[in-house]
Amino acid sequence: MTSTATPLFPAQAAATELPVLDMVQPLLGFPEHRRFALTRLDEIGMFCELRSLEQADLRFVVVPPAMFFPDYAPEIDDDLSETLGVRDASDLVVLSLVTLGQTPQEATANLLAPVLVNHRNRRAAQVLLADLDLPLRAPLTGR
Amino acid sequence: MLVLSRRLGESVVIGDDIVVTVLEVRGDVVRIGVDAPREVQVRRQELLAEVAESNRAAASPDPEAVAGLSELVGEPRAPREDDQR
Repeated sequence: MTSTATPLFPAQAAATELPVLDMVQPLLGFPEHRRFALTRLDEIGMFCELRSLEQADLRFVVVPPAMFFPDYAPEIDDDLSETLGVRDASDLVVLSLVTLGQTPQEATANLLAPVLVNHRNRRAAQVLLADLDLPLRAPLTGR
Repeated sequence: MLVLSRRLGESVVIGDDIVVTVLEVRGDVVRIGVDAPREVQVRRQELLAEVAESNRAAASPDPEAVAGLSELVGEPRAPREDDQR
């Protein structure tokens, strides 16, 4: 499958709507956090935030990786598609967890274990991809 | 923890349909083969730990640093050849 190259929320989407994701396959290291609110951090919906509904101060910055890594095309297996209730590849949105550094230019994205979201039923899963050559810390900028 | 001694080529069976076989022993490196149903994920433990550690490093960043990300909006960098390395 290929990931979407457009911002997660189109401009016309209601800004007041806060999608709540059901993390059916939790973030590694955070097994008890199943429900996350997804909100955007900028006007065009490039950077977004996953905020735990179980613990309000637990937040993650995520980004659709296609905006920074146009060739990135994670492959998932049928079992995961079933877990997420995916009927069509267009159901899926790929999000990469962003680790911030001392400066914005040091920010990295996790391409090895993305969060896949079925935007139709709001089910999500962090998936450790089979391609172990993918980087865990891919710089977002070339500087 | 259950501890079993196995020779080269011998296996242990876990549950009904998971078979772990010793394929090769060379010094302190043991190659093992795992036969398991497709829905059973087999991962190297240290890789799971590495991803969990990366998740922890990404968790709850400083709000000022998050605000600084706006600098990156609108200027995605040009793709590089080593992106997939």
